[in-house]
Amino acid sequence: MGFLQIASAHKAYHTPEGAQVRALDDVTIDVRNNEFLTLLGPSGCGKTTLLKCIAGFEDLDGGDLLLEGRSLKGVPAHRRPFNTVFQNYALFPHMTIAQNIGYGLDVAGVRKPERDRRVGEALEMVGLSGFDSRRPAQLSGGQQQRVALARSLVLKPRVLLLDEPLSALDRKMRETMQIELKNLQHSVGITFIFVTHDQEEALAMSDRIAVLSNGRLQQIGRSTEVYDTPANEFVANFVGTSNLFTGRVTERNDRLLTIETANGRRLAARSDGFAVGDGVTLVLRPEHLRIAEPGEGGAGCTIEGTVKDAVFVGSIVHVHVDVGFGRTAILHHRHERAGASAAVAPGASVRIAYSPESVHLIAAAGG
Amino acid sequence: MFRGFKTFRLWPTLFNAYGFLFLAFLYLPLGLILLYSFNANPINMAVWTGFTLDWYATIFGGAGVKGSFDAAFTEAPERIFAVVKNSFLVAVSAATISTVIGTVTAIALARYRFVGKRFYQALLILPMLVPDIVLGIALLVFFVGAGFQLSLLTIIIGHVTFLSSYVFVVVSTRLAGMDTTLEQASADLGAGPLTTFRRVTLPQIMPGVVGGFLLAFIISLDDVVITYFIAGVGSQTLPLFILAMMRRGLRPQITALAVLIILFSFVVATVGLLLRNRKP
Repeated sequence: MGFLQIASAHKAYHTPEGAQVRALDDVTIDVRNNEFLTLLGPSGCGKTTLLKCIAGFEDLDGGDLLLEGRSLKGVPAHRRPFNTVFQNYALFPHMTIAQNIGYGLDVAGVRKPERDRRVGEALEMVGLSGFDSRRPAQLSGGQQQRVALARSLVLKPRVLLLDEPLSALDRKMRETMQIELKNLQHSVGITFIFVTHDQEEALAMSDRIAVLSNGRLQQIGRSTEVYDTPANEFVANFVGTSNLFTGRVTERNDRLLTIETANGRRLAARSDGFAVGDGVTLVLRPEHLRIAEPGEGGAGCTIEGTVKDAVFVGSIVHVHVDVGFGRTAILHHRHERAGASAAVAPGASVRIAYSPESVHLIAAAGG
Repeated sequence: MFRGFKTFRLWPTLFNAYGFLFLAFLYLPLGLILLYSFNANPINMAVWTGFTLDWYATIFGGAGVKGSFDAAFTEAPERIFAVVKNSFLVAVSAATISTVIGTVTAIALARYRFVGKRFYQALLILPMLVPDIVLGIALLVFFVGAGFQLSLLTIIIGHVTFLSSYVFVVVSTRLAGMDTTLEQASADLGAGPLTTFRRVTLPQIMPGVVGGFLLAFIISLDDVVITYFIAGVGSQTLPLFILAMMRRGLRPQITALAVLIILFSFVVATVGLLLRNRKP
């Protein structure tokens, strides 16, 4: 028996134009106790809808939610042992910080001495002691964020739902909060379900990531699994950057495969699966590609091309290489001090090399 | 170049003049009535014969009426107080009931989905668009047909029918500007619908509710046309009373009464503004 089971959840919307949009299409996820699970996907993928259905603000059209085996069907939001941190924080503007945090305890009928003690502890936990009598409007975005967290966590929910809570913060603040949230989750031992469209954020914080697109679950797994072995092209493109080449297996030598693309490009990959004739897509991460030294690189492990752009982003240079047939490959080149990186100047002819072990293969759709 | 410079100077002057004339247009009649209410001349108000507070005194019963001529044109303080009392009773009751009905309706329409919602919304705005005289006749026909004795009660019911619409509009505007995630947050933190309403929704829309109440109160207080049709013999309100006084000519006492009404409206409006601007 799982902790929180999302069992083939369905939900459809009607747009004002009358079209039907499937926000959730047969989504099944087994949420584990005390894990940091991220729902990741582009806007409109259904991740926020799923969160709202878990919170109880919306009902599923089909499927069920089970908390420790008990269905949550018909249980209104205020009776579910879940709390939400809203994207805009939704702090009550007419109440002080202490009143905001104490709201849930008041409603639950917790007596004043205990209420005040727990509010004090919650304020301390998020580093806002002494802010009790301020109003939300007097706080910065990051501080409001902490109040929203404290207001939810003070109730010791079974699950904390977070709806893109970091999206309103600036980059530095966001990175700080990512670490704080992760540490907080460890120390309070509460299951976090975190919604975001930011794949870097998802990779940085999550125990597991569930990737959603068009209302369907694309893949669920540990951060490294999702990144290293994406289940399909959508995941490969959405989580991190990928260079994809689609073709057919033409040769198999022990574990070494040769894949020929429609353009006649021959690429090598090492894999246990697949047989001659199978349609596959190669996933090449930019950090696994390098610019080959003259004479280096075995057959099938190089791609010829011309440098189009070299974008300096700090420790590395993103090199965009025109590899022919209208395709551009992106590789991450380690940044050298000025003068040493003449090889990656735009217009230069280069050979891209990779190791067959670093290739991840996806069975081509329908192939 | 010099012409350009000249037109540049001309426009601000014109705008200032326009602003001044507009204010004069708005406030000159009110200023005139204020002036008349202090004029000692009992026959022709347009001719200044000296400053007096006598007309105010006659309202409050502080000064006896001089001569039989004036007496014929002056109402006794007891009569005035009786109609003022009626007016306040009607205005407070009608505004209170309308505020409850209008607010509840606004919340229902803003927060719940049901069949025919749009139609219902249009029906709610309609009483504000129907000419007062039509509404007055319609209400009279209804009350007589339903066997009501025309009284203060019929005035209150009649006022509630259209004042609810005003409150509905004012509160709806406030609700539309309210962040609905606040109510979700309240439910999320364990509060049932009633607690959420009392502790989150109501405090958020309070300025709208108070504004709606004050608007309804003021409209009820100075309504003439509708009230005229549905007032009974013993249920005269202040505006109807003044209208009756006017039939015998515009007397100085009326100007004093008018000034007091303006003063009162001003106080109500100020209170309303202060409440609205109060920091949450």
